[in-house]
Amino acid sequence: MSAAGELLAPSAIDGTGFTVRRAARSSGWLLGFAAALVVLLAFMPALVSHGDTSLLVNVFVLLTISTMWNLLAGYAGLVSIGQQAFIGLGAYSVVVAAINGMEPFTVIPVAAVVCGVISIPVAALVFRTRGGYFAIATWVVASAAQLVISSITSIGGGTGHPVPGLSSLAPGEFANISYWSALAVVVVALAATYLLLRSRLGLVLAAVRDNEDAARAAGTRVTLARGVVFVLAAIGCGAAGALLAVTQLQVEPVAAFSVQWSAEIIFVTLIGGMGTIEGPILGTVIYFVLQQNLAQHGAWYLIIVGTVAVAVAIWFPRGLWGTVTRRLRFEFFPVRYQVVGPRPQDSGSPT
Amino acid sequence: MPATLLELVRISKRFGGVVVAHDLSLSVEPGAAVGLVGPNGAGKTSLFSMVAGDLRPDAGTISFDGAVVNRLGPAARCRLGIGRTYQVPKPFERMTVFENALVAAQQGAGARGQDSHHRAFASLERCNLIDKVNREAGSLGLLDRKRLELARALASGPRLVLLDEVAGGLTQPEVRELVDIVRSLRAEGTAVVWIEHVVRALVGAVDRLLCLAAGVVIADGDPVRVLDDPAVREVYLGTELAIEGTV
Repeated sequence: MSAAGELLAPSAIDGTGFTVRRAARSSGWLLGFAAALVVLLAFMPALVSHGDTSLLVNVFVLLTISTMWNLLAGYAGLVSIGQQAFIGLGAYSVVVAAINGMEPFTVIPVAAVVCGVISIPVAALVFRTRGGYFAIATWVVASAAQLVISSITSIGGGTGHPVPGLSSLAPGEFANISYWSALAVVVVALAATYLLLRSRLGLVLAAVRDNEDAARAAGTRVTLARGVVFVLAAIGCGAAGALLAVTQLQVEPVAAFSVQWSAEIIFVTLIGGMGTIEGPILGTVIYFVLQQNLAQHGAWYLIIVGTVAVAVAIWFPRGLWGTVTRRLRFEFFPVRYQVVGPRPQDSGSPT
Repeated sequence: MPATLLELVRISKRFGGVVVAHDLSLSVEPGAAVGLVGPNGAGKTSLFSMVAGDLRPDAGTISFDGAVVNRLGPAARCRLGIGRTYQVPKPFERMTVFENALVAAQQGAGARGQDSHHRAFASLERCNLIDKVNREAGSLGLLDRKRLELARALASGPRLVLLDEVAGGLTQPEVRELVDIVRSLRAEGTAVVWIEHVVRALVGAVDRLLCLAAGVVIADGDPVRVLDDPAVREVYLGTELAIEGTV
């Protein structure tokens, strides 16, 4: 496959006068806008306080894992409630590496790859189940991972372990490096997701999302596609877990492997819109806006968050972004194919 | 190329007490157009599912192009050249019409890049969907869903196409359009097996008709003769023959 050609350029269908494009006309400058936003975010530490950048670190972590979960559940039909397994394992990979004298921030990619490798045998196990059973199986894997980690005393057992090797950094320097690391992880996660969904595999995933039987009947290797997504999601969640370890300085099994992660991921993705790249982004923003404005109201915060979830599920079953993109036929990250004809679309060949 | 494209040898399948195939054998030659009729529950769609790999027979072998395919799943069989349509169309609803066909062109036919675009486009053109290429498949009406079902099967580059009631619920001019497409497939050497309740559509398009009842082939041969067969009239046609005569 001429990867670059297929990704970027419109291509003519010989002898028909038709051309295949991958973007709506408006999307080019929107992609430019996204790039500008990343540059702006990179300069955030110079513009806002360390408290704000540490909040943004949490935003980026949640956005990363939600984007990964969206690939799993929104495209591959794998509703996992056990992604915290890889968040925890990513965090503990950093702890183990740092105990052995490695520099915690540079270990983040290594921790991600470790989680990807671990996910291969996990996939072989949990892929034997379907639907609701799959969800429970992933949760069991996450709980088992937590129990195993809690039983290893050299990394702190059940009480957790601090991440060594970070005390040499000045507080400001530490906050900035944390922020940039988190920004790098989320940008890589989103860019990889975008490129994946534009690839041949992305088309397969969209088909699996819409109708698994028909996808198989059209020649799609559904299990292989799911396996690739499962490993990628583990890598992304591992990177997010590693980020949590270095930014919070301390890792505890109960927090790192908490099923609370899955609850937040699912909320964010469903509110924003499953099966779209933009959905988790919008969902994450809404979640943090609610949290920042309502957290001091205690139980009311949870009641309002729950009400929002129910309201969206009833009135916007495709999520907020899913509804926007359907009504307006608009994508921020264009992944769809568009056939452009030599004549107006509605006066084509007779039907 | 072997003399037979598809060969079923002594296939049996039952769901509890319901027999959908009983010691059933049949073969289809390359480029043949075969109609398949029979009362509801005769096992027509189950037979398709066994050929396409969605359902495993309890006994017997299924060979395609000289190789036994019993152990292959539906995706592998599609790649070998067995394309199917579903009785109730199963479009990829949130994808465009073009993307629907493109999946089959890339995965089923193994085409890449521009070649896959061309293949998808050609199959849609053939099924008269060019003016709707950018529509979301979920927004299509019944006729267009059936057309898309066929276009997707064709985009996967099949040597055998299994059509499951593509004409059901369509008007006569619409049925005629489908019959023309099937005829053109045959002209290219693609074999077609077509399940249809609309018998008038079949008679114009196939050169061989099979009648299935309770998992057994009760008649096989020239369409007009099969429809005249007393056994076929008894289990199935009775009233339908009158309709056929008036068309």
